[in-house]
Amino acid sequence: MEVYLDYQSAKPVDPRVIEEMTPYFYYKFGNPSSLHKIGDDATDILDKCRKTIANFINAKKEEIIFTSGATESNNLAIIGYALRNKAKGNHILISEIEHISIHNIAKYLSKIGFNISKIPVDPYGSVNLKKIKERITDKTILISIGYANNEIGTIQQISEIGRLCKEYDIAFHSDAVAAEGLIPIDVEKDNIDLLTLSSNDIYGPKGLGILYIRKGIRVNPLIIGGGQERGLRSGSENIPGIVGMAKAVEIMKVEMNEEVKRLKVYRDRLIDNILGNIPKSHLNGHPTSRLSNNAHFRFEGIEGEALLLSLKDKGISVSTGSACTSKTLEPSHTLIALGLLHEEAHGSLELTSGRFTKKEDIDLVLEVLPQVVERLRKLSPLYK
Amino acid sequence: MKSTRYSEKVLDHFRNPRNVGTLKGEDVGTGRVGNPVCGDLMELYIKVKNNKIKDVKFRTFGCGSAIATASMVTELAKGKSIDEAIKITRKDVADELDGLPPIKMHCSNLAADALKDAIKNYKDKQKLKVEVEEEIREHKEEITGEKKFLNRGVYNIIEDFSLFKDKRTLVLGRGDKSIEIAIELTKHTPRVVFVTPLKDISANTNLKTKLKQSDVKILYESKILEIKGFNEVEKVLIYDLNEDEKYELYIDSVVLLL
Repeated sequence: MEVYLDYQSAKPVDPRVIEEMTPYFYYKFGNPSSLHKIGDDATDILDKCRKTIANFINAKKEEIIFTSGATESNNLAIIGYALRNKAKGNHILISEIEHISIHNIAKYLSKIGFNISKIPVDPYGSVNLKKIKERITDKTILISIGYANNEIGTIQQISEIGRLCKEYDIAFHSDAVAAEGLIPIDVEKDNIDLLTLSSNDIYGPKGLGILYIRKGIRVNPLIIGGGQERGLRSGSENIPGIVGMAKAVEIMKVEMNEEVKRLKVYRDRLIDNILGNIPKSHLNGHPTSRLSNNAHFRFEGIEGEALLLSLKDKGISVSTGSACTSKTLEPSHTLIALGLLHEEAHGSLELTSGRFTKKEDIDLVLEVLPQVVERLRKLSPLYK
Repeated sequence: MKSTRYSEKVLDHFRNPRNVGTLKGEDVGTGRVGNPVCGDLMELYIKVKNNKIKDVKFRTFGCGSAIATASMVTELAKGKSIDEAIKITRKDVADELDGLPPIKMHCSNLAADALKDAIKNYKDKQKLKVEVEEEIREHKEEITGEKKFLNRGVYNIIEDFSLFKDKRTLVLGRGDKSIEIAIELTKHTPRVVFVTPLKDISANTNLKTKLKQSDVKILYESKILEIKGFNEVEKVLIYDLNEDEKYELYIDSVVLLL
């Protein structure tokens, strides 16, 4: 039996979501742009789904733009906003621990004349408000800070950052992919102007996401075509995907509280046992302000890929921030921003549980991990 | 190709590495190679008799292919004369393992280099060529940013240790006093890094043991090139003398005691 503790990377689609989507591939295949009955039916369902999803984050349905996923939403939010508002200024703030898509978007924008500042984080991965404030200039037009970190699970003080942006009249974008389904999100309460969500991260189908754009906030489209999604994202709507995401939201609304409670028990058991039973092990991320599904460790003297392979042999799927598993051979920028040395970042292990995780899965990890760590330490010249 | 798609042979050597351990003695050569960017470090030991490699051992910190290549090179080298063994290449090791993922060919394929290093070390030993530790001059050099951030994260003197509560702190100094301060700081913050240009700590044995048992993280053979930040210290640029590499370390305070 495979044990999957890598929900951060990908989630299975809830079977109830698949069932809801199925008719929309053959029987209800219409295009909302068509004027006949089948087209009208598609318009109706698109409208209904948009309302459901808007309601999930306390937004209005006109403020939801469907995209192909979180990466596209981040592109539309940041590049779209920057290009539309460059007359106001060319300065954008992001944090050092944003998702790689945002780091690379920032890199692109800096090549075409925008100024990007990166806000450092404390040892637990929290963005300090003072550090945001001191970097704001009269050219600052946008601040993008993730709701919670996808790797180490640290939750940011989003309401406070939102208030700060409002005070300075700067647009606020938040990538909420890691947080959705684990924390209730309210764009009004948190003063968020642009918000990224992905469908798969709440057990909906892959290839679909949304960007919430507050009424009055203007962005340039990046995909030009037939003018769908108020002209901000052309291309025929992915109706089966949208139906799936709306169903995923409906399930989440009912089950989130219970699910989060269950995940917290798993997380705390992992953290308490691993820190208690494996010498020279450390928790990465915030001790309390962290996502209920995230347990992130580092073990002195061993390397993450070797750890991952050893667990793979025992039928356990996990993630690591080690360079040896990345395309660039650089260790995770998030772990480095915490103040870790390369060799420390290499020894990290990320365990993220989810809707289909069972108590026995956690038991197996707790049984196997100490032996695996001990074996690799015996091979290591760095562990004494 | 995914960086972790390994051949069965690589996986076998990863799961059951051959010749793990260390060797000691006059007839032992030691090789140590590492690539800090990728994060692999390898130690290889050869025991030589009549110019033949009688025994080989290794230890590796690194990914699956780092462990497997080290294990394979020990098998290839065992029993060979040192003149034959020195000809073993990275490609030989990779070929014997039925290949490595392309991205790993460079970074995690250091085993042949470690073997060459060990042979060289053995030959040097036989020549009785005692390598004199290069004296590293410890004169006070100004660090870029030191003045700019003085008392805004950079300190030359500690008056109140409680100011360092939960601050990632880097200590640069030499002598017993700076080591005592680094150890004292661990009572106030979980993160203390001690930077020294030397290969080892120069202090009395007692203090040295105390330092090594403490939570202080030691960066050997390293220098601080620059202190960076916005209004206060946020990171430092470290130079690794041994690897000739520069990297940034995120930090909140720097204590300069030179």
